[in-house]
Amino acid sequence: MEHGHEIGSHSLAHFAGLTFNMDTLIMTWITMAIVIVLAIAATRRMELRPRGWQNFLEMAVMYLLEQMETNMGSKGQKLAPLIITLFLFLVVGNELGLIPGFTSPTNDINTTLGLALMIIVIVHVLAIKNKGFTKYIKHYFEPYIPFVVINIIEEVAKPITLSFRLFGNILAGEILLLVLGMLVPYFVPTLWLAFSVFVGIVQAFIFTMLSISYLSNSMQDGH
Amino acid sequence: MVELNGTLLAQIVNFLLLVAILAKFAYKPLMQILAERQKKIADAIDAAECERREAEQLKLEYKQQLVEARSKAQVIVENAEKLAEENKEEILKSARAESAYILQKAQEEVARERELALAQLRSEVVALSMAAATKIVTEKMDTELNARMVSDFIEKLDDQKIGGLPC
Repeated sequence: MEHGHEIGSHSLAHFAGLTFNMDTLIMTWITMAIVIVLAIAATRRMELRPRGWQNFLEMAVMYLLEQMETNMGSKGQKLAPLIITLFLFLVVGNELGLIPGFTSPTNDINTTLGLALMIIVIVHVLAIKNKGFTKYIKHYFEPYIPFVVINIIEEVAKPITLSFRLFGNILAGEILLLVLGMLVPYFVPTLWLAFSVFVGIVQAFIFTMLSISYLSNSMQDGH
Repeated sequence: MVELNGTLLAQIVNFLLLVAILAKFAYKPLMQILAERQKKIADAIDAAECERREAEQLKLEYKQQLVEARSKAQVIVENAEKLAEENKEEILKSARAESAYILQKAQEEVARERELALAQLRSEVVALSMAAATKIVTEKMDTELNARMVSDFIEKLDDQKIGGLPC
């Protein structure tokens, strides 16, 4: 069970004064490669009548676009590549860890917090761009000045909850899969594996939907 | 286990790289095909709507034509009935005229026959009278008186029995 040692502990690499979790990075690159291959395979010979993988991808993309349209309006279209990529990356990444010998890039807090912070930075940049700097700042002191504390806690909580939810679910899923595999082999781990597939999709979906929701808040002119 | 390091930054870079790659190679054709399909569907719906409206128009026209045809047929039947009625009247009239003519002809024939019979009768009567008169006259009177008597007799016969026919 050498696979068990990989979870939680990382093989480290040092570069330019920074430490990198090499296994996470490798799994990320594998995920990226799979996503790219799938996306290009789906869009290589695009047809008006979708077939096979194109159909599946289109379904997911259409759903995300629809969600963005209802939450953000037409302004959200510019963020569509980001959101779609986020969803595909998370789905593939979450499911990758279920394959023996692989781990999910999303079982590393660095990945999930990185993505969450990126989303939050975009949220704030868009908010400043849309509302103007003074209005953006004023927004934190509404409805009354003391609310600034609550508002800031809320803003800080956003990336933390976003990243820890995904990280926790995926890491716990993988750990439990291994533990169950050792305790009650075959049947129970298989059930848990099937459930983890579902969890992986759901968590990717939640992360994406919350990102859309946060982004849509900063897209609105009012407030 | 929960330990932040340079991976965080690397992951952001990785992800943005992935976004860039997908946006360039997959997103554009996907959006293009989606837009194309949307347009096609919209066109198809428009066309269907147009055709439906046309069909409705045609249906309306056909209905109208059917109503017209029905009323026309009605008129034709009515005309035919009227014509038949007229024909019947005409036939009856000509039949009546024919019968009247035949009747008249028959009456005329009868009258002529009667006249002929009367003429024959008269000549018979004259002969008989002449015979009778000759008998009487040979016994009692001369020939002059005899002729007058016969003539008188005939005159009387004409007035009373035959009705003024000249002899």
